[in-house]
Amino acid sequence: MANINKSAQDRTFDAIVIGSGISGGWAAKEFTEKGLKTLVLERGRDVKHLKDYPTTNKMPWEFPHRGQVPQAIQDEAPVVSRCYAFKEDAMHFFVKDKEHPYEQDKPFDWIRGYQVGGKSLLWARQTQRWSDFDFEGPARDGFAVDWPIRYADIAPWYSYVEKFVGISGNKDGIANLPDGEFLPPLEMTAVENYFKGFVSKNYKDRHVIYGRCAHLTEPQPIHLQQGRVKCQKRTLCQRGCPFGGYFSSNSSTLPWAEKTGNLTLHPHAVVHSVIYDDQKGKATGVRVVDAVTKEMTEFYAKVIFVNAAAVNTNLILLNSTSNRFPNGLGNDSGVLGKYFAFHNYRGRISADYNGLLDFTTEGRSPTSAYIPRFRNVVKQETNFLRGYAAGFSTGRRTWNSHDGLGQQLKDQLFNQEMGNWYVGSHMMGETIPKEESQITLDKTKKDEWDMPVLHVNLGYDDNDEKMLKDFFEQMTEMYTKAGFTNIKTEDSKQAPGLDIHEMGGVRMGKDPKTSMLNKWNQMHAVSNVFVTDGASMTSTSTQNPSLTYMALTARAVDYAVSQLKKGEI
Amino acid sequence: MLVNRRTALKQVLVVSAGLALLPSCLRKPSPASISLKNIAVDAEGESMLAALADTLIPTTATPGAKDVKAHLFTLTMVDDCLRKEDQQKFMEGMKAFSDLCQKKNGHSFEKSSPGEREALLKELEAADAGKDAAASFYRSAKHFIITGYTNSEYYLTKVQVYELVPARYHGSVPVKPIPKRTA
Repeated sequence: MANINKSAQDRTFDAIVIGSGISGGWAAKEFTEKGLKTLVLERGRDVKHLKDYPTTNKMPWEFPHRGQVPQAIQDEAPVVSRCYAFKEDAMHFFVKDKEHPYEQDKPFDWIRGYQVGGKSLLWARQTQRWSDFDFEGPARDGFAVDWPIRYADIAPWYSYVEKFVGISGNKDGIANLPDGEFLPPLEMTAVENYFKGFVSKNYKDRHVIYGRCAHLTEPQPIHLQQGRVKCQKRTLCQRGCPFGGYFSSNSSTLPWAEKTGNLTLHPHAVVHSVIYDDQKGKATGVRVVDAVTKEMTEFYAKVIFVNAAAVNTNLILLNSTSNRFPNGLGNDSGVLGKYFAFHNYRGRISADYNGLLDFTTEGRSPTSAYIPRFRNVVKQETNFLRGYAAGFSTGRRTWNSHDGLGQQLKDQLFNQEMGNWYVGSHMMGETIPKEESQITLDKTKKDEWDMPVLHVNLGYDDNDEKMLKDFFEQMTEMYTKAGFTNIKTEDSKQAPGLDIHEMGGVRMGKDPKTSMLNKWNQMHAVSNVFVTDGASMTSTSTQNPSLTYMALTARAVDYAVSQLKKGEI
Repeated sequence: MLVNRRTALKQVLVVSAGLALLPSCLRKPSPASISLKNIAVDAEGESMLAALADTLIPTTATPGAKDVKAHLFTLTMVDDCLRKEDQQKFMEGMKAFSDLCQKKNGHSFEKSSPGEREALLKELEAADAGKDAAASFYRSAKHFIITGYTNSEYYLTKVQVYELVPARYHGSVPVKPIPKRTA
């Protein structure tokens, strides 16, 4: 970081963005494009597009353990070892448990990527819009608080970010999953197409659609200007993509921001707290601990965006205490850290299909088909609140028999056999944010960077269990009717967090007495602090959330800059 | 130099004592060709694994498992990727396998004839790996040898070609008959 000796003036910017992940990258792009001198603080190391993807062009045999993570590393990091993407080719992009401990009041698998780009390097890249059926959920069903925005508020911003990100998808015309600015969709398999037809014929309000994902299937000039080209279907995204075929902060927003000349990026900068000035009634900057030297420096700006990823955003705000805010910045309501939630990913269902055996797939697909939420969409109709979306993926089973030995075994290894189709789905269930689901700070324990160790208290409730049961029942019924066989359901029993969709704690709302942020993601109580990552979410719905964070961020920056110009903040 | 009988005799004795000692000197384990952190496998164990790899997936007109060093991959995986108790099980099984071979064939696996090797492995194929230590080792080693072979540069460039950059995905294509290949 090495900015210690610079004068206060050198440490003063127009805007500070805390975090360089998917939402922080967007804040950086928007601020710098609008001409604001912007400091982006990232607690981890720098990861430059192309240059810092050490495994990206490795062949499978170049990995000493062919992808498997050595046991000694797994033993030291049991939490992150449960993440599907924590493999030999990408393990350098994940936080190992021991390096950054936290307290699990209930089991919580906290998956983190401390580096420039954060988890945007590692995300599963699925991008669906919310609709009013989602935004109106809490008000209709009586939980959390009413969202202060509706679809019409965010729709233009979805379009705005989608065009830049590059979203592949199909215009399906589904009311509860609005269409976006789509590049051509990725193809479906014969069985996915069959199931799509089957479902639309047999279920009035259920759909099977092409996955919507942040892959450049047909790059537009705006993508080529970013230096990104067509997705090459490598499906090695987690290593960082040399083609920029999928969206990440590293391949897209950060280099874009850098080109403006207005970006200053500080890696190894652990934000300790936001500085609040009682006299001015505003935040004036942030305190930063150098991750390496542990020295503390202050940086100043007119406006501060907190995009540290949901859990750490809560941590920073809880740790930002002052005379005015003894319980955390902007926490007049007392809700900071509370009403935390996630997505229920416990349910999986697999089956076989013995039809369409004359067809197969060719090449690799970076997405799968998708079943939008169909439960309780228009009105309450089950014994649980809300619903779930599901992935839907299929493929031909191929294998080489391992029976026998000698010439027989070798012949088998040279001749792949093809079996029937496998069919699989996983659920993405909405969970209800509750007051007791919260992030708190340990009163005594601190980490190496003088940050309080945080506690996470989050669990499944009765609604989640009922929803899981319904997912199994409904999917089993659909699978059975479609002629799939050997249907097996599995409750992974995974802890919250492994979905990597943690949300809330700094929720948006209309009323300052019950929420932290207004409809612009601006703190009710501190007008120049904004939170636009997962922490700002009032409820979770069922969509993969990143696209919404990006849209909220672009929208909030636009508002913040207009307010700055008017002298309002 | 005049050598008297006594001295000559002494020298012969020293030499023969040395010879008597020699086999055990030779048996002093020389290390495996790769460095291992957790398991004690010496050159002898390594060559037994190599012989096992060569028996399972033999060198023919095309390279076999030993040629692609699948036996060394096996050692790496056992050393780095197995839990302690599974490493122990593997090592115990390896010894049981070696002892079984010695008992059945009167010599090591490496020195066994192709027929002897095959007979032994076929017996272990049929045995219960849950109960029999030698069979458990065999099952585990076979798994790693196959994984090492099918993930080798040779296999992924010449047999089942791995494409780093496929640049295509076709959701639905007709299944084409693939001509049978001789390994």
